[in-house]
Amino acid sequence: MTDSSTAAVLSLDDFVTLVRDEIGLDIEPDQVAVDFDELPDWDSLYLLKLVTALELATGRKIAVGKVLEARSLKAIHDVAVGG
Amino acid sequence: MSTPTAHIASIGTALPGDPVDNASLAKVLGVNEEWIEVFIGTKTRHFARDLGTGEVRWSLADLCAQAAQKALAAPGVDPADIEFIVLGTATPDTLMPATVNQVADQLGLDQVPTFQLQSGCAGAIQALSVGQTMIASGQYRTGLVIGGDVCSKHLDVQRDLSGAAPSDLVNFVLFGDGAGAAVLTAEPAGQRVALRHVLNRFTGLGRKPGQVIEWFGLADRHDDRQALTEDYKAIEERVPVMAVEILWELLGELDWEADDLDFLLPPQLSGRMTRRITEELDVPTAEEISCVADTGNNGNALPFLQIEKLLDRMADGHKALAVAVESSKWIKAGFALEKI
Repeated sequence: MTDSSTAAVLSLDDFVTLVRDEIGLDIEPDQVAVDFDELPDWDSLYLLKLVTALELATGRKIAVGKVLEARSLKAIHDVAVGG
Repeated sequence: MSTPTAHIASIGTALPGDPVDNASLAKVLGVNEEWIEVFIGTKTRHFARDLGTGEVRWSLADLCAQAAQKALAAPGVDPADIEFIVLGTATPDTLMPATVNQVADQLGLDQVPTFQLQSGCAGAIQALSVGQTMIASGQYRTGLVIGGDVCSKHLDVQRDLSGAAPSDLVNFVLFGDGAGAAVLTAEPAGQRVALRHVLNRFTGLGRKPGQVIEWFGLADRHDDRQALTEDYKAIEERVPVMAVEILWELLGELDWEADDLDFLLPPQLSGRMTRRITEELDVPTAEEISCVADTGNNGNALPFLQIEKLLDRMADGHKALAVAVESSKWIKAGFALEKI
């Protein structure tokens, strides 16, 4: 789980599981694309745990600036697994 | 006879040890360095506790006394004139004796009334308010007002933070330690800065606290209650709105226009939050005076650190306005200064 070749295998479903496990946010797969404003339980502080957990899970460094610009969990997933 | 106006004659500040950068802090906490840099926006802070060993190097009383000594050593100030001391802090060394009395002892002051306010981010302003009221009473002509915090009391470097809640962990990257002091006088002296107005108002009726710091005694010290809790979401939402309300309320009270302001001292939550709040305050003609990105949020020390920076730039006739919000139970605070 620590080399970059595993990055692509963090599927959206795995990501949802990681979000649930790491930050305790009870979301369904169909909620990942909704804007944070429509996710009442979302707290920007969760990003700290999420970034750390994503770096561990993907074995790659996450661009925090891009994560902060993301408006949905799906967008964060894109940053985590994208180029 | 008119009510005496309080003046700031001098300022002193104290920051413990060398600045701790984000790389060092991230390593100790096991968190992402870039996250601290980007999300919190604070570059350095100072800790009274050694980050490597956890050893306490300075007490709150030590830092407050250092800051006060600097203020008392300034030109135009005579320590023998001090007639009262007020200290605002959220993190006293002991519950008794009150830290203000240990500070008096370190300063060699005796036979003066002392007050300590249990307070968070509005504490320095509450202390200024008490000092201003004492001088306005006509009974006192010179006093010492101090604010300081040692937030690193909760920085347990031995603790495994991997399972810590974000509302817990965020405190370690937001806060720092420090102290500041001002000598208040009834007549213009030293820096000759008039304290034109002080706002200190509880506005938290029916509102859940935005920040909680627990304290533990013998009977409950093994409770696993979170020592510090930060409702960051509520703070992000409420503080910028309250800051704008405070700005306009103060301007209204003073009968000043926003354009009259030469300097603006915004709330010092974190580098990033302060940038955002300053944008929302939207007084482009006033120069922003901030310190939090370099000092960390050291609570009751912050307004003094800001005033110290301000005094370097202030010329005769300049006006400055400070805004602070205490999110613990939602206190609106602020003050206005004019160099005469």
